[in-house]
Amino acid sequence: MSENCFHCLESVPAGFSAHVVIDNIAQPMCCIGCQAVAQNIIDQGMTDYYKYRTVSAGKVEQLVPEQLAFIKSYDNEDIQDEFISTNNNSSEVLLSVEGITCAACAWLIEKQLLNLKSVQRVDVNTSTNRAMIQWDKSETPLSELITSLAEIGYKAYPFQSDLEAQQKQQTAKAYIRRLGVAGLMTMQVMMFAFAMYFGMFSGMDSNFEQYFRWISLILATPVILYSALPFLSNAINGLKAKQLNMDLPVSLAIFGAYSASCYATVMEVGEVYFESICMFTFLLLLGKYLEFRARLKASEFTANLQKLLPLTARTFDENGKEHIIAAKKLKLNDVVLIKAGETIPADGVLIKGSTSVDESMMTGEHQPVRKYVDHNVYAGTVNHDGVIEIKINKLGQNTLLNQIIRLQHNALTKRPRLVEITDKVAQWFVAVLLIFASLTAFGWYQIDPDVAFWITISVLVATCPCALSLAIPTALTCAVATLTRKGILIKQAHVLETLSKLTLFAFDKTGTLTQGKFSLDAVDVLSENYTKEQVLDIAAQLESYSEHPIASAFNEFKGQRKFDDVQLHPGVGISAQHNNTHYAIGKSGWFNTKKTNAQATLYVNKQPIARFYFVDKVKTRADKLINTLQAANLSCHMLTGDASDAGAKLAKTLKLDSVQASCSPEDKQKAVDRWSEQGEIVAMVGDGVNDSPVFASAHLSIAMESGADISKNSADVVLLNSDLASIEHLLTIAKQTRRIIKQNLTLSLLYNGSILPLAAMGLVAPWMAAIGMTTSSIIVICNSLRLLKL
Amino acid sequence: MSIIYILVPIAILFVLIAIGIFFWAVKGEQFSDLNKQGHSILFEDDKEQHNKSND
Repeated sequence: MSENCFHCLESVPAGFSAHVVIDNIAQPMCCIGCQAVAQNIIDQGMTDYYKYRTVSAGKVEQLVPEQLAFIKSYDNEDIQDEFISTNNNSSEVLLSVEGITCAACAWLIEKQLLNLKSVQRVDVNTSTNRAMIQWDKSETPLSELITSLAEIGYKAYPFQSDLEAQQKQQTAKAYIRRLGVAGLMTMQVMMFAFAMYFGMFSGMDSNFEQYFRWISLILATPVILYSALPFLSNAINGLKAKQLNMDLPVSLAIFGAYSASCYATVMEVGEVYFESICMFTFLLLLGKYLEFRARLKASEFTANLQKLLPLTARTFDENGKEHIIAAKKLKLNDVVLIKAGETIPADGVLIKGSTSVDESMMTGEHQPVRKYVDHNVYAGTVNHDGVIEIKINKLGQNTLLNQIIRLQHNALTKRPRLVEITDKVAQWFVAVLLIFASLTAFGWYQIDPDVAFWITISVLVATCPCALSLAIPTALTCAVATLTRKGILIKQAHVLETLSKLTLFAFDKTGTLTQGKFSLDAVDVLSENYTKEQVLDIAAQLESYSEHPIASAFNEFKGQRKFDDVQLHPGVGISAQHNNTHYAIGKSGWFNTKKTNAQATLYVNKQPIARFYFVDKVKTRADKLINTLQAANLSCHMLTGDASDAGAKLAKTLKLDSVQASCSPEDKQKAVDRWSEQGEIVAMVGDGVNDSPVFASAHLSIAMESGADISKNSADVVLLNSDLASIEHLLTIAKQTRRIIKQNLTLSLLYNGSILPLAAMGLVAPWMAAIGMTTSSIIVICNSLRLLKL
Repeated sequence: MSIIYILVPIAILFVLIAIGIFFWAVKGEQFSDLNKQGHSILFEDDKEQHNKSND
């Protein structure tokens, strides 16, 4: 049996032996990285971490000098402006930390950072994976904090919260405060209400009754005027926009009953309903808060994005010496040096060197693009293998990347929105309620003017749409929780409702329907001296030195051979020596041999030995998903940026209804807009930056976790496992949710409908209204909870 | 029974204090991560540094 690493729980590779003594037992480690981290943790006296962690740590990668230099660049004052706020000698920074898995991690990080002098406060949030640090910048540079986190195995980078995220945090806090006030006060009001209920049966001194009423009034006031205020402002906003929303009947009931009860208390007449409206406010706020929190979690998850553009750039000073400056200080016509693996900071023209660039984040295509002198390169794309110098010709807002982002923002403002079912129900509910209430008032005024007002108020309280307002948020919260467990993040409230109305699915090709990486399709062995296995072994070993996307296709064949004198030839291939034999792998036609259409050829002593063919394989569940969707009468289409015939071929195998190739981001948007105009309800599934504008145009957008950060940020749904089968889950659960919502609406309308005549006849006492309201709400909540068991 | 005229306002005072503490806790981010706070009691903050001679 092979041992597992004590730190990351991965198996220890054969032949590797390293141990760390933890609580007097030597524990095995799988790599030097894990060993160093574990040793650090032990030396700092933080063994408790291993005792209480619930999830294993991730495998540790050691920092290479280049990364260290990069971390050092965070100390640059110009860059720091963007994410550090300083007052007096205390600075505050928010770091996104990769690898936080459980509460033990949070403790470990807090302890590690507090060990550094000048760190005043650390607060790690395990649900957002962020750490807030307050420290003295003049004593300890930021880079030291980040490297000290790296020592215990966490990768950190500064987090720049956008305005939207900050507002959401504020809203969440406001919800909690309102909820707390409503909860505490409702308990008190209920206590006095019970005293009054009993007083009603067994008689009560009128002095006490009046006293209790005043106390209830005082206690209920903050609930109504603070906790329930958002309902009123929403209702008023709705009225201003000439819409009747669910908050209108809610506000009518709460504020109507509150005013009437105040009047009753002051004038010592009629009935008081303080307990009903307090409880009502509390239950409703709870439902709304839970729904909000479920979505907040999803959006926080995707907000932890690394910036698309690097913060720093390498330029040359007057003496021609390379130095690092803040990327935002770059000017037009500056010359920037970009090393292999770095992200290009601005659009420009290549003036020195040649390389291949990964433009997948722009085009969605993973095949690297060759760049020579005079070619254009774009901000945000990644330089693969060469060292290049570029002359900047577009900056900031004018870069291609920002044009795509602007396209997305413009589309968002005119995004089609479906009328939500709640609004529809609310509209006729309000109408019926108002008609019924005025009929009651009018009717009783004829019979007995003294009681007319009080019976009308009791109608308002009894028909208070508590269960009705909870019907949808509770069902949505449960459904979202279930989906999150299955790796499907829902970021917008409308998603589940829109899903059940969809008529058309549009897919991106690379990375969505296909795996977005190369897999070996066929091997052609040209020499009899080698078997297929041997060729693969040599090729895999050679390719392991390469960063080229094709290299990853060989990962599974990796052997043990050792090469000397490995040389990378940018744009051509790799060569190496072994036992006086020359090996090389690269493009076809190398060493003046015959050119073929093979994507890679293996050469031994400069003679071609084997040819390799690669394809971007279709995801396993793609055909099943398309079948299911088409069986459900949803048409499936493909919008791809790929100009080759691969899209058409794939569309044929998957039996898609249509395909549109070589689409620019605008073309994709236009296609979706055209469908929308024809009355289709469109869902877009994609993964690249080029999909983000179309995401904003479609009724519903679904992004893959493997995709670009910006697309995940703008999508309504993120599939964490990038698995197409999740879309089927999504549809089933949406259907189920819709059914539960319908049941909930029926149940609550049934209750409101049956109590209405009784209230109108003046038969409902305040305590009956309170019990009826709670029971109906609890039934609705329990019904929604069934969604958690899916 | 007239004692409740005094006791009830005192009770209300306590509720107000409770709300004050609650608001303070919300402000200090104590509710932003419910998962972590539940575990924090398990960890000992001032454990002695592990003896390095064990290596």
